[in-house]
Amino acid sequence: MSNLYLVDQPYGGNGVNLAVQDSDAVVVLIQDGVYLDVSGLSGAGRTVYAVKRDVERRGLESRVPSTVKRIGFDELVDLIEANKVVNFA
Amino acid sequence: MGQKHVLITFNRVPYGSIFYTEGLRAAVGVTSGIDEHTVDLLYLGDGVNFCLKDVDRTDSARYLTTLAAQDVNLKAEKEALQDRNIAESELADDVEVVSRSQALELICKADVTIDF
Repeated sequence: MSNLYLVDQPYGGNGVNLAVQDSDAVVVLIQDGVYLDVSGLSGAGRTVYAVKRDVERRGLESRVPSTVKRIGFDELVDLIEANKVVNFA
Repeated sequence: MGQKHVLITFNRVPYGSIFYTEGLRAAVGVTSGIDEHTVDLLYLGDGVNFCLKDVDRTDSARYLTTLAAQDVNLKAEKEALQDRNIAESELADDVEVVSRSQALELICKADVTIDF
């Protein structure tokens, strides 16, 4: 069981800052959270997901790094059920 | 359900919305049920602006008084203060400054986190 950081705006950056230091963190960017710079997370070796539909609808497919794995809502629900949610959404 | 430990995070500036005081009201609610859950209050990002000593606390005072009676204080993240050039001397007396790694410990210790 990991700490699952659900990250949206306007204060998702607070969650990203903490997740960078949390070796147990899994981060999911949802809605406007897909605009956040997550290079620090990837650099720290954290697993980062983004909701596919939220990326596509905002036309960010080419701007969100490929290291950020795109997931659907079914996978998001699975992640929520399998982990402890730390909510910044 | 049994007693749980709840971390409440405050992420918004005061007075721009009602979140800053609703979170405190929720904290009182969390501690006052039959299970007597325990809470920690953690101010992150723009939320640390509530910790300034000159903030008008009129609409939060009764919640803060109730929580203080249970030894619950306000914890503000040091890095967030530094990012906003807020000196510790500008903070209210009941604020404890914690580092980001200490904030992470609070997250790991909590059974549940709620954000405001």
